[in-house]
Amino acid sequence: MSAREVVDLEGHIIDSLLLAKVLDVILASGAEYELLDVEIGRTNTDTSRARLEITAKDEATLATLLVGLQVHGANARSSTDADLEPADRDGVLPTGFYSTTNLPTQVRVDGHWIDVVNPEMDCGLVVADGVARTVPMHRVRAGNGVVVGREGVRVTAPARPRGASVFEFMNSEVSSEKPKALLVARVADRIRQARESGSKVLAVCGPAVVHTGSSPPLARLVRAGWINVLFAGNGFATHDIESNVMGTSLGVSVLEGVSSEGGHANHLRVINEVRRFGSIAAAVDAGYIEGGVMFECVRRKVPYVLAGSLRDDGPLPDVFPNVIEAADAMRDLVPGVAVALMLATTLHAIATGNILPSGVETFCVDINQAVVTKLADRGSSQALGIVTDVGLFVSDLADALGA
Amino acid sequence: MAELTWGRRFLMCPPVHFGVLYEINSWMSTSVAVDPERAARQWETLRATLIEAGATVELQEPVEGLPDLVFTANAGIVNGNQFIPSRFRHAERQGEMPHDIEWFRSRGHDVDELPADVSHEGAGDALPFGGVLVSGYNQRSDVSAHAQLSKLTGVPVRSVELADPRLYHLDLTFCPLDDRRVMIAPAGWDAYGRRLIEALVPEPLVLDDDDTFAFTANSVVVGRTIVMPACSPAVGRQLEAWGFDVVVVDISEFQKAGGACRCLTLALDVTLT
Repeated sequence: MSAREVVDLEGHIIDSLLLAKVLDVILASGAEYELLDVEIGRTNTDTSRARLEITAKDEATLATLLVGLQVHGANARSSTDADLEPADRDGVLPTGFYSTTNLPTQVRVDGHWIDVVNPEMDCGLVVADGVARTVPMHRVRAGNGVVVGREGVRVTAPARPRGASVFEFMNSEVSSEKPKALLVARVADRIRQARESGSKVLAVCGPAVVHTGSSPPLARLVRAGWINVLFAGNGFATHDIESNVMGTSLGVSVLEGVSSEGGHANHLRVINEVRRFGSIAAAVDAGYIEGGVMFECVRRKVPYVLAGSLRDDGPLPDVFPNVIEAADAMRDLVPGVAVALMLATTLHAIATGNILPSGVETFCVDINQAVVTKLADRGSSQALGIVTDVGLFVSDLADALGA
Repeated sequence: MAELTWGRRFLMCPPVHFGVLYEINSWMSTSVAVDPERAARQWETLRATLIEAGATVELQEPVEGLPDLVFTANAGIVNGNQFIPSRFRHAERQGEMPHDIEWFRSRGHDVDELPADVSHEGAGDALPFGGVLVSGYNQRSDVSAHAQLSKLTGVPVRSVELADPRLYHLDLTFCPLDDRRVMIAPAGWDAYGRRLIEALVPEPLVLDDDDTFAFTANSVVVGRTIVMPACSPAVGRQLEAWGFDVVVVDISEFQKAGGACRCLTLALDVTLT
């Protein structure tokens, strides 16, 4: 991961060749600079000022370089601690709070840069006992020390390591014109790497996963331990259970593709029965559900969060009707996730993207290119899009992973 | 060719408490004893030579425990009635500052201090030439002090990186002779410093390594007289060709501490413009 710092240089830096020297020293160290601002003195007695941003290949290189530059008068700009202000009431950040990004972030506290433990976009930064955390607005408590202003906060730009990225050859552009088999193989590689490193793989699923018939291969992936966390809504879980209990998805036969008589109510009947059991797990234990993604999640103890929405039927008893609580439940499962698969879902993909740190490799699979674009536009710039039919993708992925 | 506008009035401090009591530069060795009587004689000869050349010499009271107070060039920067006391890099010399401030304040100077978090060792690291103050950094002085100096004096500063720890002060590498000529020891500077001085000095007298490390540049110029700790035949010929009178004084006891003629004097008649 590359490291950046903004430095200021002031004095007779042009005539003394100090600016030239500083720029030469930066380049000689292998780092790069961008002159953000140069103010040249108008007379020979006026001093000049330059502000430049340095990008080095890592923190260690940057730190060494900064020490070297200090000798020539170039000082890191953020030499002050972050300003902390106590929240005055629960659920309200102080005015002027620092609004976070999902990028790796550091806060300067007592002269030291400390890493933010859980980068998440659109949150406040709370510092307590030398630990800095992102805290969503509703979770802040009166008295929490919240970072205000931009001083003493620095963010590391995402840098994809050269030669290590899955899509290095395609610059992560969204396109339907990519060799899918190759992409599937590479995603499978990433999932294998995540498992080898003890990290988790998250699947975020829309109901189209079931409609397109990819519920069985996804269930195989869960059963084989390739999926470790699942986020979805009422629809996905309902149709997954419906397809296993009644053989239909939204009343349409999953195997024959024909509408069944009275099938439009099938999902309601399934929801109703699961509600009678009290939970999906209880319905599995009772033998009502005998297969499918939710069944495998219960059996494999794969944690899932089903987030509710305004148009839900039922909903299933496991669904969080309160979206704030749903998002919090999702947050609790994010630590340790290294790979996220967004499968044919727009709203859940964006909601999940909002709480993932930028370091989570995110693959957004959708037949609609707009979903991928939208995810990136909402700040999840790390998302790599795969425009394809999710049914084919999941099936190929399960095969590639031997599930 | 105009003579220097300064160099007729100097501050010196008798070497009563002088000795090599610590090691803060590569010339100092506490195992080398200073002969106090010899040091006193050498210092007296320097003073007499300056007076004979037409300068007046004012004295600073020596202080026990501050052996380097004799090196008055490091007291600070004089600019007319303004005095900017040094911020010494090493704790060993930081005790000199109150005495320097007291001397100038009691004589009616305005004392302007540099911020406490920067180092700058006065005229030892800053000499006027060509309308600018040439100042060294990286050994004893911080470049960040240069911008401050410029603000305090209103004079542009040219920063020269001193690259050789043996040449730890600018006045070991840079000696203005008149308004066009300077003895220079480029061995002490980095490439940027050399380019800078090359552009600044119309007629440099370039010292070779032997001259440089004999502290030839640490000389005091009084009008057309140059009082030097050492002068090789080549340097002497050039200086005489330029019309200077060369006087070499033995200052060897002080060279044990890494200082010579210039270090033992502080010009009091400098007005930076």
